[in-house]
Amino acid sequence: MASQASNLSVIGRAARVHGRVTGAVDLEVQGYVEGDIAVGGDVTVDGGGMVGANVHGRRLVVRGAVKGDLLATESVSLEEGARVVGDVRAPRVAIAGGLVRGYVQSGDVQGAPRAVVRAVAVARPAPAPAKAPVSMSAAVSAPQASNGTPAKKVAPPPPVSAPTVRHVEPAPRAISLGGSGSGAPAAKHGPPPPVVPALKKGAKGALKKKA
Amino acid sequence: MASTVIGAGITIEGEVTTDEDVVVAGTLRGKLSAKEGVTIEHGATVEADVTGGSLVVAGALTGNVTAAERVDLQQGSRVIGNVKAARVTIADGAQFKGNVDMDV
Repeated sequence: MASQASNLSVIGRAARVHGRVTGAVDLEVQGYVEGDIAVGGDVTVDGGGMVGANVHGRRLVVRGAVKGDLLATESVSLEEGARVVGDVRAPRVAIAGGLVRGYVQSGDVQGAPRAVVRAVAVARPAPAPAKAPVSMSAAVSAPQASNGTPAKKVAPPPPVSAPTVRHVEPAPRAISLGGSGSGAPAAKHGPPPPVVPALKKGAKGALKKKA
Repeated sequence: MASTVIGAGITIEGEVTTDEDVVVAGTLRGKLSAKEGVTIEHGATVEADVTGGSLVVAGALTGNVTAAERVDLQQGSRVIGNVKAARVTIADGAQFKGNVDMDV
C-alpha cells in the first residue's frame, strides 16, 4: 500500500490544490489544481481533472481541462475530452481529440515560440513608427512647396490625404453607374476642401458687411 | 486506495482541500484540509496546518492538527504543533512537542 502510494501521486476527484506542485515523479490529476505543475515524470489530467496553470512534464496526457501552457520534454497527447486553452509545446504532439485554443508547436525547439510571439509583438508596432516618418516627410515636403504662399500652409495637407482615399472609392462607382451625374460628384469631391475655407471667408465678410 | 496521494518525490506548496482521503508520502507546505482520513506516511514532510476526520502520522509534521475523530502518532513520527481531537494516541517512539486538546 505504502509503496504503491509513493509510486504514483494522485490529486483525487474531490481534491482542490491551490499552489505549486513540483517533483520528479508521475502525477495524475483527477481533481482541480490552481497552480503550476512541474514534474520530471508523466502528468495525466483525467476526464474530471482541471488545471488552471502551466503544466510541465516529461509526457503529458490530457483528457480533462487545462487553462495554461503545456510543455513536455517528450510528448503531449490530447485525447478525447481534452479542453486546452493555452500553448502546447513538445517534441511530439498528438491531438487525438478534444478542443485546443492556442499555439501548438511540435519539434525539438523549446522556448522558441515565446520568442516568436515576442518578435511578432515587436513587429506589429514597428509599422506604426514606419508610417510616422512618411507623414513627417510629407509634412516636410509640403512646407517646401508652399514656401511661396506661407498663408495656405494649413490648407494643402488635407487635400493630399483626403482625395487619395476618396478618389479610389468613387472611381468604381462611376464606372458602374456610367452616368455623367456620377462624374459630377467625383468632381465635387475634389474641390470641397479648398471651397469650404473660401466660403467661410466669404461668409465672414458677408456677415461683417451685414452687421 | 486513497483518492488523493501526494507521492514521494512530489512537493506541493499551497493549499490542498478535499472531501476524501489523503495520503501524503511527499512534501506538503501550506495547508491541508480533508473531510476523511489523512495519512502522513513515513518519509513524508508536512509543514502545514492539517484538518481532517482522522489523522495517522508516521512521518514528520510541523503544524497544528485538528481532527474530528482521532489522531494517531505512530512510532517514528515527528510532530511539532498543537493537536486537537476527541481521541489522541501517541505511540512509543513517536516524537511530539505541542499541546494536546482532547476536546472533552
